[in-house]
Amino acid sequence: MHTQINLVQDPFGWNQLKGILEPSVSQCLSSEFSSLLCKKQIIFSNGEKRLVPINGWSSNSKHPCTTITTIHPLQENTTILAIDSSSIQFAETDEGILYAVKSGITTAFRGQTQTHFKIGPMLFYLSEDTLKDSELDHRIAKLVLFDSESAKRLIRVRVERAIQFELSRRFSSAILLVDGSLRSSVFENIDQTLKKVVENCSLYKNAIVGISKSTKLRILDKISPPLTKIKGPCYTDIDLIIKSLIRNTIGDSLLVKFGNSYTSPILRADIATVGGDRDRSLGRILGNDSIARGYPETLQLAHHISTFTTTEISCLKSHVMNNYDVTELASEDIRKKLLGSIPI
Amino acid sequence: MKILYKNSTDELILLAMKSDTASKGDYLLIHDEKSDKKMIVQIYDEEYLSSQSLIEDIVKDEVVVASSIENLHDPLEIGNLSRMIRDARLFKAKIRASIDSKSKFSNEVTWLPSRVYSKISRMKLSEINALVNRTGIYSIHIGNSGWDNEQFEIYGEDLDGKLNIVTGKKESGKSHLSKLLIKTLVEYGAFVIVFDLNNEYGGLAWNRDGMPSALHDQVTILEPGGGLGFSLEYCGKAAISSMLKNALDMPAASLREFFRIWDWLENKNTLDIEALGNAINTWNTNELVRDALISRYHAIYSSGLFVSTKSSNHDGLRFEYLTSKEKGLALVLNMGKAMPVVRRMIVELVLTKVVELLGRGAIPPIFLFAEEAHLYIRDTYWEDIITRMRHFGIYATFITNQPDAISDGIYRQVDNIFLFNFTNGTDLDKISKVSLADNDTVRSIVRTLPQRHCLVIGKVVRDLPMVVKVTSADVLALGQTKTFFTRQDNVPDTSVDR
Repeated sequence: MHTQINLVQDPFGWNQLKGILEPSVSQCLSSEFSSLLCKKQIIFSNGEKRLVPINGWSSNSKHPCTTITTIHPLQENTTILAIDSSSIQFAETDEGILYAVKSGITTAFRGQTQTHFKIGPMLFYLSEDTLKDSELDHRIAKLVLFDSESAKRLIRVRVERAIQFELSRRFSSAILLVDGSLRSSVFENIDQTLKKVVENCSLYKNAIVGISKSTKLRILDKISPPLTKIKGPCYTDIDLIIKSLIRNTIGDSLLVKFGNSYTSPILRADIATVGGDRDRSLGRILGNDSIARGYPETLQLAHHISTFTTTEISCLKSHVMNNYDVTELASEDIRKKLLGSIPI
Repeated sequence: MKILYKNSTDELILLAMKSDTASKGDYLLIHDEKSDKKMIVQIYDEEYLSSQSLIEDIVKDEVVVASSIENLHDPLEIGNLSRMIRDARLFKAKIRASIDSKSKFSNEVTWLPSRVYSKISRMKLSEINALVNRTGIYSIHIGNSGWDNEQFEIYGEDLDGKLNIVTGKKESGKSHLSKLLIKTLVEYGAFVIVFDLNNEYGGLAWNRDGMPSALHDQVTILEPGGGLGFSLEYCGKAAISSMLKNALDMPAASLREFFRIWDWLENKNTLDIEALGNAINTWNTNELVRDALISRYHAIYSSGLFVSTKSSNHDGLRFEYLTSKEKGLALVLNMGKAMPVVRRMIVELVLTKVVELLGRGAIPPIFLFAEEAHLYIRDTYWEDIITRMRHFGIYATFITNQPDAISDGIYRQVDNIFLFNFTNGTDLDKISKVSLADNDTVRSIVRTLPQRHCLVIGKVVRDLPMVVKVTSADVLALGQTKTFFTRQDNVPDTSVDR
């Protein structure tokens, strides 16, 4: 039995405890890094946001040799369709959670943004009753009931897939731009999966490109520096790396720079095209969409029209209060209540 | 409409949706149904309900719509609600009065209405009039007011014995309102003297179509050499003395000599403008005094204000005669063509004589309308008019486009102000400091008043400021600016059909 400490009766108990805790905590993980940090370049993180160095990491970073292909804009008339959506947890009852979703589709042609289509806001109520009749696997159903992040993702994925599915078979020789990677999700509806969207695309000679604004794969940062050496649009193939790290990815994975300057952002793009002619598809994007700050303007616009505004949220509250015979309860931020706040 | 919050001691901020139509100047009744008390507030300004996020939303939407054509699928019709919020407005309202549960009206408001149980409704002009007991016998219809364009009347009784100011920038409608006031006062039998600087009030005698107006026989237009001529005897020493001293700056020594001559002529019973000239020329006196007398005599003689009763067998103008008629009279003294010194002479002479006549009870009280009076009345005279003369029975209305030309002392004694549009910051500063209404109301409402709209403040509206659209008077408009270039729409069509 270890020696017991009595802090009330033994005034030296604190010193004893300190002597025990210090080595214990410092040994739980290696805290010896000063030599490793020495002369390193550094960027400080900002909460959950992922930051990247504007001019990339220094040239002496270790990265494998990669082949860079430049992209030339193709003046080949193609409709560009960009899709994005957003979902928020909007209200809560003792039985379930009310979510709101908004989607946006934008089109571009011959370098000009043509139209945009705002869908929503729409409300979805996820509770045991509403999920009982869904075809969702019961484990996923449980997950979305207890984890609102998963629920929001489920709603977003399903709405986006529904739109992508319809667009992929209602257009031909078009390019669908999707926010994020082309990766099958467990939240998909079995009738409107990404695979089916890609099948439709190949049937109707459409291409689908998923563009990720940021990636959690740090290895991609090591591969990207050669792209910063080229001024114009270019790409490099990272398919092998992606496929080895992530399952369920569809199409070819690339690191792409759409912008016309050395410092334009380098983005991960998954591309599924008919006959695998990705040079042509990327060229058609450059020729028919306009690129603002290194990102397709259609996707930018789709993002903006699909995000919720404060006014819309107020209006949704008013709509729910007026139409569903609900009673609003007073609520509080339990975290704030427990922790209090120290005004600075 | 809902009460949002109280902004200062006398101001409420109200939330209004697009359907809640009200304009600056409108009165609202806030009925607190719990306490059964009512509050009367007046909207003096409106602005959008604005927040940083709302502005960002609007900008974002505009940018998106400008860059591509919009299509919507909005099953919950949230867009409609969103548009309502974007169009929501805040009415700034001044607390004017309250009515307690026993229907007692009071200008002192020491309570706040409930935000939950209060109902807000627009007030009709007739309701306000009934509440403040604004009634009278001699109604003067000056225009329309309120959200339902009700006829707006003031009462002659509220102008009687009062000091009024009509002010506003050029061409805002001041003279127009003044003509309406004069016309109606004369119709009610009042005696009105108008110092007309632009020779425009003569139009009162004529309709717009050129036919004689109903007042045609009651409008007398006089000008120096055109009927505005007095005999020296009628004017008397006091009026002449006042004129020589104040308008012609005659030194005291010369003035004494002048009245020696005057007395000499009077004793000989030969007091006359011609005889006065001869006497001055032959009078045995110091050369400097003679020169002073001669120069003043020439100014008097050439002004055309005096008639020779001996040579022309004409008695000259007599106010008693003019006011002896049963009907009212507008005596328009045209000074548009007169030299500045002659204008001052007219005013000194007329006012001194009228005060003398009023003192003797020889004429009834008069309403005096003085347009741009600062151009012909000396500064000290202003206060004389509003203090001393009002006790004799001269009730002045000053019409000016320069509010800073009137001293603060006068503003402090003013009973009614008819405020037309001012956009100039200095004028607004002045008028908002001295007017009878609060600074915010004056600044906000007056700045945006359209032409021929005025804010009426004072006793005529029982201290509840009212915005009035002044009605068009069916009298001939004179005194318009003479222009060199003819407007295109007035040019006769000389084209020939081919």
